[in-house]
Amino acid sequence: MTRPPSIPSTDDERAPTFDSHAPLDEPTLRRLYSYMLKCRTVEERIRLLFRQGRFSGNYFAAVGQEATEVGATMDLLPGDTIAPSHRNFVTHIMKGTPLKLMFAHIFLRKDSPDQGRCAQAHCGYAPLNIITPASTIAAQLAIGTGVALANKMQQKTSVVVALSGEGSTSLGLWHESLNFAGVHRLPIVFILENNLWAESVPARLQSAVEDFSTKAPAYGIRGVTVDGNDVIAVYRVSQEAIRRARSGDGPTLIECKTYRWYGHSEIDPAKYRTVEELEYWKSRDPIAAMERYLQERGFWAESWKQELLADFDKEIDEAIEFAEKSPYPEPEEALDHVFSFSIRDRELHRRVWAPQISSVG
Amino acid sequence: MPLMTYIDAITSALREEMVRDEQVYIIGEDVGAMGGVFKATKGLQEEFGSDRVIDSPLAEGIIISSSIGAAMAGMRPVSEIQFADFIAPAMDSIAEQAAKLRYRSAGTQTCPLTVRVCYGGGVGGGLYHSQTNTSWFIHTPGLMVVAPSSPYDAKGLLKAGIRNDDPVLFFEHKKLYRSIKEEVPAGDYTVPLMKADVKRKGSDITAISYGYTLQLTLQAAEKMRTEHGVEVEVIDLRTLAPLDKDTLLESVARTSRVVVVHEDNRTLGIGAEVSAIIAEEAFDCLDAPIARVTAPDIPAIPASPPLEKFYMPSVEKILAALERTLDY
Repeated sequence: MTRPPSIPSTDDERAPTFDSHAPLDEPTLRRLYSYMLKCRTVEERIRLLFRQGRFSGNYFAAVGQEATEVGATMDLLPGDTIAPSHRNFVTHIMKGTPLKLMFAHIFLRKDSPDQGRCAQAHCGYAPLNIITPASTIAAQLAIGTGVALANKMQQKTSVVVALSGEGSTSLGLWHESLNFAGVHRLPIVFILENNLWAESVPARLQSAVEDFSTKAPAYGIRGVTVDGNDVIAVYRVSQEAIRRARSGDGPTLIECKTYRWYGHSEIDPAKYRTVEELEYWKSRDPIAAMERYLQERGFWAESWKQELLADFDKEIDEAIEFAEKSPYPEPEEALDHVFSFSIRDRELHRRVWAPQISSVG
Repeated sequence: MPLMTYIDAITSALREEMVRDEQVYIIGEDVGAMGGVFKATKGLQEEFGSDRVIDSPLAEGIIISSSIGAAMAGMRPVSEIQFADFIAPAMDSIAEQAAKLRYRSAGTQTCPLTVRVCYGGGVGGGLYHSQTNTSWFIHTPGLMVVAPSSPYDAKGLLKAGIRNDDPVLFFEHKKLYRSIKEEVPAGDYTVPLMKADVKRKGSDITAISYGYTLQLTLQAAEKMRTEHGVEVEVIDLRTLAPLDKDTLLESVARTSRVVVVHEDNRTLGIGAEVSAIIAEEAFDCLDAPIARVTAPDIPAIPASPPLEKFYMPSVEKILAALERTLDY
């Protein structure tokens, strides 16, 4: 068979004509699968690098949640914005951030998008409209809501996709964001990744509701709950919500029920969960499910998967090599990008702090 | 030049900036149809429409957060916090988002946001309509904190703040809104940010303040001249963060005596920082300990008139501090 490109490119400027009822075509199905596989391959490599002690810091993997991340963010246009949470690092792949920059960020090097300032969980990329996540949960939804307000005021058709976990629904800013977006019918889609655990706290202790999407009517917006491990379902529902947002039809809350396979972060053994629960969700692996579906549709070849993996590994290897060769920022660069320093202040800070740095090597 | 109140100067700045730049918009509680509880935005919704003068939900978090997001996307929001006492729900947005945005993105994202905050006591407003909490923001690098003391500065600084590419917290003292008038140009001008102003020249002692207490300090300075023949130099900080240290130090080098006056409570108020700067950089110039006239370190500004009077800085308290410092 003719080998399809690893991840076929989309025509970024195409009109938003998604038909939510038509069956997905083969290239789209392949891209959904390819992106999921790439996201997992990247995250598993980052986890390996962490265990090898190759970078300092921590990582918050979304392995197991690929269907949600890929389905919700595939095919966004360049002018669209992603407002990710701390667990959505791989949505950079979906928007097109080069892996080299992503790994430079993991290694906290000078070539990272923020020149080594933010920790692994907080990676933004201004050129592609990816907002920097903060660990103050739900904040990104409120910032994303503001971007959507600007899109509307500037009469753009750009949309915002804002992601957060079910834990975020307990915060005031979650409520304030959905409420404001509802009042002004803003072009934003709220993706609620209900992975059942907010660090160690189960979803039933976050909220008395079973389906978090039932909160949507309280804000006068549409709410949908979808199997977050079914990438086709997530993609369909998201594309429909994005189409509506783009055409001025207001926001949607999409609850994607999914599961993170690993702990809250790499230092969390997640002993608060049962083995049975984990095994159940692993049996619902979104990537394996999509493989089976592609087989049923006759779009599958094991060799294709191996080629994809080889491509991804090569790209990741190159990105890691680039990142490890990238220098660390100079200590005094900690003083850069501070608007409030006069030259005099900066020099004063440099004189005071620089000798302490050099003495510790 | 027309005589203008402080509040009219603010309205004038807002109107002119909205005419000049269509990316400028206003959002806040009651700012639209009502024109603001102090009428700072009076007539603006009629003139510019409800898309550019937005009556927000009663939710400070989204007022500021949505403004940050919109500012990142090219708008120039001017958000209003009706009373400084209500700003805490927006602290996450201000301290964790707006302040850090430029730094955390290595300069690739900025946030041209202006937050107008009505602050200050002396009007019997009690615990939740009187606070001066400027220090919360002064202590947060990445924010610019501005607090004008006069109508002329209010208009010029607000226009400069709106045009600034980084977040500005613009503190307006409610007691100044209608209590003073000044000649204010009808047309366009700006007053430089990050620059203190010598409001009264003097050679015997330096008094440093901002906002409402700056006006009290000027009154005290006049009394010192008429009653004691003492020339007090009065410096208006105008921008509290980042501080214009040079203007302070140049004055201290000439007068050798310093009194700092502010309505915020004492501990870690701006007076503490001003004192530390002078101690570090002009210790040899001093002939007397630095004196502070501030609110006391109590949790809130009380409502009952005698309690509030006890709390607030006053001309008498400033005079006592000036005399004590001169007599040292």
